[in-house]
Amino acid sequence: MEKAKVSAYQLFVLIVMFEMGSAILLGLGARVKQDAWMAILFGLVGGILVFFIYYRLYMYYPELPLTSYLQKILGKWLGRLIGFLYIVYFIYVASRVLRDFGELLTSTIYNSTPLFVINTLMILTIIYLLHKGFEVLARVGEIYFGIVYFTAILGMLLIVFSGLIHLGNLKPILENGLKPVIKVFLRETLTFPFGEMVVFTMLLPFLNDKKKAKIVCVGGMILAGINITITTIVNITVLGVELYYRSPFPLLTTIGRIQIADFIERLDVLFMLYLVIGGFFKIAIYYYAAVAGSADIFQFKNQRKLAFPIGIIVLFSSITVASNFAEFIKEGLVIVTMYLSWPFQIIIPSFLLIIAFFRNKKKKTSPA
Amino acid sequence: MKKTLIILLVFIMSVPVLSACWNQKELTDLAFVMALGIDRGEDDLYHISFQLVNPGNVSAGQTGGGQGLPIAVYKSNGRTMTEAARNATKEVSRRLYYAHTNLVVISEDVARDRNLMLNLLDAFARDPEFRTTTELVIARDSTAEEIVTTLTILDKLPVTKVTKEIKFTEAMKGENKSVNIDEIIDGITGNGKEPIANGYRLIGMKEEASKATNLQKTTTDAFLAADGLAVFKDGALIDWIESNKSRGIIWVLDKAKSTDITLKWKGKKNALSIVPIRSKTKVSTIFKKGKPVINVKIENEGWISEANTAINLMDPKTIIKIEKLTENEIKKEVKSSVKEAQRLKCDIFGFGDIVHKANPKVWRKLKGNWNNYFADIEVNVKVNSYVRREGVRTNPFWSDINK
Repeated sequence: MEKAKVSAYQLFVLIVMFEMGSAILLGLGARVKQDAWMAILFGLVGGILVFFIYYRLYMYYPELPLTSYLQKILGKWLGRLIGFLYIVYFIYVASRVLRDFGELLTSTIYNSTPLFVINTLMILTIIYLLHKGFEVLARVGEIYFGIVYFTAILGMLLIVFSGLIHLGNLKPILENGLKPVIKVFLRETLTFPFGEMVVFTMLLPFLNDKKKAKIVCVGGMILAGINITITTIVNITVLGVELYYRSPFPLLTTIGRIQIADFIERLDVLFMLYLVIGGFFKIAIYYYAAVAGSADIFQFKNQRKLAFPIGIIVLFSSITVASNFAEFIKEGLVIVTMYLSWPFQIIIPSFLLIIAFFRNKKKKTSPA
Repeated sequence: MKKTLIILLVFIMSVPVLSACWNQKELTDLAFVMALGIDRGEDDLYHISFQLVNPGNVSAGQTGGGQGLPIAVYKSNGRTMTEAARNATKEVSRRLYYAHTNLVVISEDVARDRNLMLNLLDAFARDPEFRTTTELVIARDSTAEEIVTTLTILDKLPVTKVTKEIKFTEAMKGENKSVNIDEIIDGITGNGKEPIANGYRLIGMKEEASKATNLQKTTTDAFLAADGLAVFKDGALIDWIESNKSRGIIWVLDKAKSTDITLKWKGKKNALSIVPIRSKTKVSTIFKKGKPVINVKIENEGWISEANTAINLMDPKTIIKIEKLTENEIKKEVKSSVKEAQRLKCDIFGFGDIVHKANPKVWRKLKGNWNNYFADIEVNVKVNSYVRREGVRTNPFWSDINK
């Protein structure tokens, strides 16, 4: 395990950027159309509840990352096996996010550039960053946080002043009742992006002030959740339900609508920057968790050496994960949520918590 | 030594990456497509006219910016939009570039054919280069090609003329409204609102329209003008609403900003002219015995721009009377527009959408047969007009003539 320390603010920034990362890019909860924002808010609340599982585990083992306390809770070999599965999961998700951004860029502005080239450039930057260590990632986050927020607020203002917002598009509320919303909440918004906080179980030990962990994480999730909700509402009110549903990257379509005074227009490219920064941090954090986890399980002394090979794995699996965009999305909606997100984000941590609870109870009572 | 080598190697390796131009397009290799004209050929192919800008001849300001014409039009055809666009590359020496396309003209022939009309829309929406905020108009009594090839005098680029004109006429007259491709697609797919589009006509001697001599007269031989609104149903043009009835539509859609209203005063025709300057329309629905009734409420304020009769404009009571007359006039226009749309059984106002938002349950029942239901729906129109001022004269000189 690397000896790094990050401040509460740095962790907060990383959480916000991580959560917003690719969630802001995709049409979250589009299946429930105008009620998408509601599904996202449900997801936020559910996500915070799930986060408390991770938080309790963290309280039991504040010095250890997930892969280490897995071994303490489940025993050496079973713990290592599940820890290894977690690493594979992190690598897989990192490569999915990388693919997301590759697809965004290839299908919008870099039409003729091969996906591989774009992904390579992105992963090379991240490999370099991770080679420098976690503290550097946190500091870069601090710098970019300002930029991301500035663009977000600017974009918001421009959209409002373009007179594009039609709040009527959000009506009728709950047209088909609560049931589809709950369904989308369980299948999509709970696990993506809020359940993805599971990756921070690898990073929480770096926090220099243990007491602040709860407030920082929940605060970051709430801020990110509100941002995502606002973005979704803006997307729906600007584009209308039908177009929101049909756009692979609705935020970009929304930005494309901005037209002020005949010369502030076609700003998509500027906002692509904003989206890419978010994705950069999401990939970096997943990827870092995978690196730190493998170093932990395989007892590597110098984990920096692992950055390069795992980066290459992320890169190649981002290309091979699906042969086209449709397959990629289908995989994300069906297989990832059912067979990856639920087990890794909710089921396994819940079991861990139960076992940890009894183990620690025994420990406490036995000396007495 | 080893370190220097490694650094050198890194430098060399980053050269191809940092140049960042995978498929750079130099300005001199691009042909900016300003407008597209889509016609139906006798072979049932799309015949597309690409209006390209001729950069050297547009540069304004400098005297004699160029001798030639500001635009060049190339034609090609194909079974699909993409095929036609690719076929055009056989004729044009540059790469066609669509990011600045501001206008799509569709001939009436194409628009009336559901298949042809629907088949061309997806290409516009899907292409990342093309902007869906592009204006879409329908060519009336002329081919799209004729509209696209017409030269205009005031604006060097004919496209600018058309798009600006729609914007200004929407604001000043309110018989047409800016319609882009997204709105058309929304209207075709969305339930409860059928799309409309502006009609464009080439007036004058058609054969002169594309000649340079057309630019050397103060009254051009041929010019373009907006005329009427095309009404779409099920994805195809079904009919036109003429200018005299189209203003009510724009009014209901809450796009009317300003216009002019001519009133009769004490038996004298064309005695008063009222110009609203602000207008706000609210459409709502109430349910009478489970049946939707539409309420249209229009509020506007304006001033008197002409008074061609002896009238005491300084009397508040007169003003109230004028307000009443204005209200009735607007009401009449809106009602006649609604009736026209009901005759066509085509809900261009989006009343269905309003019913949907107000009561999704009722909407679910009516959805399948909405346009027929719309034809008999009760529409109440309420207008509040306020005349605020009367320009820089008090009473008109007419008051003194007859003394």
